[in-house]
Amino acid sequence: MHNVVIIGAGPAGLSAALSAAAAGAPVLLLDNNPRLGGQYWRTFTEDTDRERSQHFDLDTGLILMNAVKARKDIEVWSGAQIWSASHQQGVNTLRVIYQGIEKIINTKNLVICTGAYDRTLPFPGWDIPGIMTPGGVQSLLKGHGVLAGKKVVVAGSGPFLLPVAAGVIKSGGTVLELLEANKSRRWLLSPLTLLENISKIKEAFYYIKTISEGKLRARFGQAVVAAHRGDNGELNSVDIAVINRNFKIKKIRNVKCDVAAIGWGFTADTSIAGALGCKQVIAKDDGVVVLVNDDQQTSITGVFAAGEITGIGGSELSMAEGVIAGLAAAKYVGCNVNILKAHRKRRAKKQRFADALIKSYPVKSGWKSWLNDQTVICRCEEVNLSDLKHAIKELGATDSRTAKLLTRCGMGLCQGRVCGRSVVDLVADEIKISPTDTDRISAVNRPIISPIPLGVLAAGE
Amino acid sequence: MSQSDLQFTFDDQIISAKSGQSVGAALLAADVRKLRTTRFDQNPRGVFCGIGVCFDCLVVIDGITNQRACIVEVKPGMKVQTQVGSNA
Amino acid sequence: MKNPDAIVIGAGVVGACSALSLTNAGLRVLVIDRGPVASGTTGAGEGNILVSDKEPSAELTLAVRSRDAWFELNTDIGGGFELEPKGGVVVSRSEKGIASLKKLSQIQKTSGIEVVELDAAEVRKIEPFISSSVEYAVLYPGDAQCQPMLAAAQIMRAVRKRGGQFIQGESVKSINISSGKVVGLKTDKNNYSCPIIINATGTWAGEIATMAGSYLPIMPRRGFILVTSPVPKIVHHKVYDADYVANVASSDADLQSSAVVEGTESGTILIGASRERVGFKSDLDVAVLRQLARQAISLFPILSNMLFLRAYRGFRPYAPDHLPVIGEDANVAGLWHAAGHEGAGIGLAPATGELITAQITGNKTFMDPTPFSPKRFKESVHVAV
Repeated sequence: MHNVVIIGAGPAGLSAALSAAAAGAPVLLLDNNPRLGGQYWRTFTEDTDRERSQHFDLDTGLILMNAVKARKDIEVWSGAQIWSASHQQGVNTLRVIYQGIEKIINTKNLVICTGAYDRTLPFPGWDIPGIMTPGGVQSLLKGHGVLAGKKVVVAGSGPFLLPVAAGVIKSGGTVLELLEANKSRRWLLSPLTLLENISKIKEAFYYIKTISEGKLRARFGQAVVAAHRGDNGELNSVDIAVINRNFKIKKIRNVKCDVAAIGWGFTADTSIAGALGCKQVIAKDDGVVVLVNDDQQTSITGVFAAGEITGIGGSELSMAEGVIAGLAAAKYVGCNVNILKAHRKRRAKKQRFADALIKSYPVKSGWKSWLNDQTVICRCEEVNLSDLKHAIKELGATDSRTAKLLTRCGMGLCQGRVCGRSVVDLVADEIKISPTDTDRISAVNRPIISPIPLGVLAAGE
Repeated sequence: MSQSDLQFTFDDQIISAKSGQSVGAALLAADVRKLRTTRFDQNPRGVFCGIGVCFDCLVVIDGITNQRACIVEVKPGMKVQTQVGSNA
Repeated sequence: MKNPDAIVIGAGVVGACSALSLTNAGLRVLVIDRGPVASGTTGAGEGNILVSDKEPSAELTLAVRSRDAWFELNTDIGGGFELEPKGGVVVSRSEKGIASLKKLSQIQKTSGIEVVELDAAEVRKIEPFISSSVEYAVLYPGDAQCQPMLAAAQIMRAVRKRGGQFIQGESVKSINISSGKVVGLKTDKNNYSCPIIINATGTWAGEIATMAGSYLPIMPRRGFILVTSPVPKIVHHKVYDADYVANVASSDADLQSSAVVEGTESGTILIGASRERVGFKSDLDVAVLRQLARQAISLFPILSNMLFLRAYRGFRPYAPDHLPVIGEDANVAGLWHAAGHEGAGIGLAPATGELITAQITGNKTFMDPTPFSPKRFKESVHVAV
């Protein structure tokens, strides 16, 4: 018998599960990975010493994960895949494939902590094997003990590049280049924000130490703008450009490498919240996030959200939000709960830092100038820029939905998770308008959350 | 728990893996980067996002297509093959 | 465009074909849509161009002409919408169903439709993955397939190239009438003067008629389509269960569904077909999706392992007698309707365009359009304007 249903077992979901259970509400925690921890606390072995080398603060994660495992009032479904979520008259219905069969969960309350994934931008050659995301390189290291390549270029924008580069170096790999597209002076945050987030400074220095030990210097105002393949069809070099503040190319040099980890912050995974009908808004990084109130409640009463889907902000903010969401959900189901001011203060502190960070790592529109007509935009369906332009100029597409219907962009297996955000920007750019909120939101929403075999659909109730 | 070694095949190669690794990770460790070719332009693809979101790392596993190599855990004796388009 | 000769409201496949026919006939045509091309039911269509699913009737005559018109149009505008003469295979697995199917196909044959009866072995030869429970089927080589969004978009492109104009993002608010004749219309942004208006708004055609003080009983009939991930070629024709014909003609409000399965050029498999009268209720109904999946798997067991990737839904426009409306309004001169094609809108669009154009220009029609006349609705209301 559970009272609170939580989706996602990363920092936010684990925090929510523990706080809800501690407040007296038994929890059902659904997660689509085989192990707890989400993307942030991926581990491979039981050797915690080895694992610690790949994390800044694994111990917090271990505490949460072990606590969740130990509590009898938290039931965990690992490897549970939600394929459909709908809300009707106060009840949320989740259809979940768990252990091969479909299970239906009807619940009046829900805490959604579905996290985020790397944001990518298309560029010539980005589909060559060897081009990866920073999250992919890190997941291979943390979760599988594998170094993706021997000569790695880490590029893009955002604080996430640091731990990825440090992780490669700690595993004995060589990071040839660490490239941040924005200028270094953006890293100077307001002194007050820094002071109240000393742990973040410690964290930054932790990575910087590793990187300088690896004899690597970060370069600012530079980016990977093209990739080239060797005769074997795999990545053998990238073009690195000095770029101006709008990301337009000033000068190019070529660097040989076998892996390039390139990422531009994160895209929140709001598909479940969107499918239920929770109100979504556009954040300062132009990403789509779920709107929540001071109690982490969405526009649907009884449905709460915490973590990256309410705004990209990192693990500490996710945990702070998760605590409040779990308590609020427990209160909603009737537990006697007092959400302490301290929780809200802590969240506010982390939020201020996250807000400052987002301002520091904008993605400027000049990235579109790196593309040529043959650049693939939708990787799944192999739709390139000239196909997209043709749909807009010749066939009259004036929004990304129509562009999708006429080109198949976003209709492949990933259902627009990778290309959706870029297509909105590219279409708007072609017709010389600003992307609309509707366009942005529809690019990240999908009523069928994940693909399921027709036989499983047929066999359900 | 020690990471025991196990083996599987990729096309006609024998690949070693540690238990708990994904097919994609084990293949990368063995320097295998090309996992499939695309259905329209026959371009090679490999692991891209590494976390099961992008569906680029598709391989055929024991006869079943569209398996994400970065997610599926290696089992001893698994038969993994290059996916050609949507075909096995 | 100042003072167009004709305004077409609606840039779906029927509006686009009407605009093309009128443009080819020398008229200056303005097309107005409140959204982008194919943003209504056309955008949710499967792309069916069928001669197999109709009994000999005015609608079959329209369908036969329209099928050929599609191929002529394809040549005329230079293709680009995946038109495929793939043929349809209609199956039935009950004794009663097989008897009905035999009878229907014989009658259709007398109307000039090419039919080929197939026994168990012959079906398996042309559809190797079909269920072993299928022992009889009829092949209709005349059935074809296209990609409906691309079709509407390519046709509109041709219209623009030949001097027509397309204005999107304007919503018609009123039809301007003087002495019982159309003189123009008003959108939320502009006023247009024009003596001829073609209402090609499909499921919303009744609203336009009401704006003009007239009446058109067009109702929505919801349908879902399941889409698989891209798969190797498994289904070679449009394959459907003979129940489909009965479902189309049914007036039942409850769910009518029967298996319709086909592959596409992009490699996905489309699975239909469901019909429900639930107004404009737009959320995905899992029970309907499940039913469609079950029916499709029953016809092609191998589909069980294929991934269901996405679903979409549309609202087919239908009139109470299940016939399209192609002709001049009962009350308002100069207001022409080209709407209400239920699930056959894609297939019937080019012939609809020809029929409406011939009536407007006063030329000879290829068939008697009386069965499609809006004047047939007894509840036509005349309101003094």
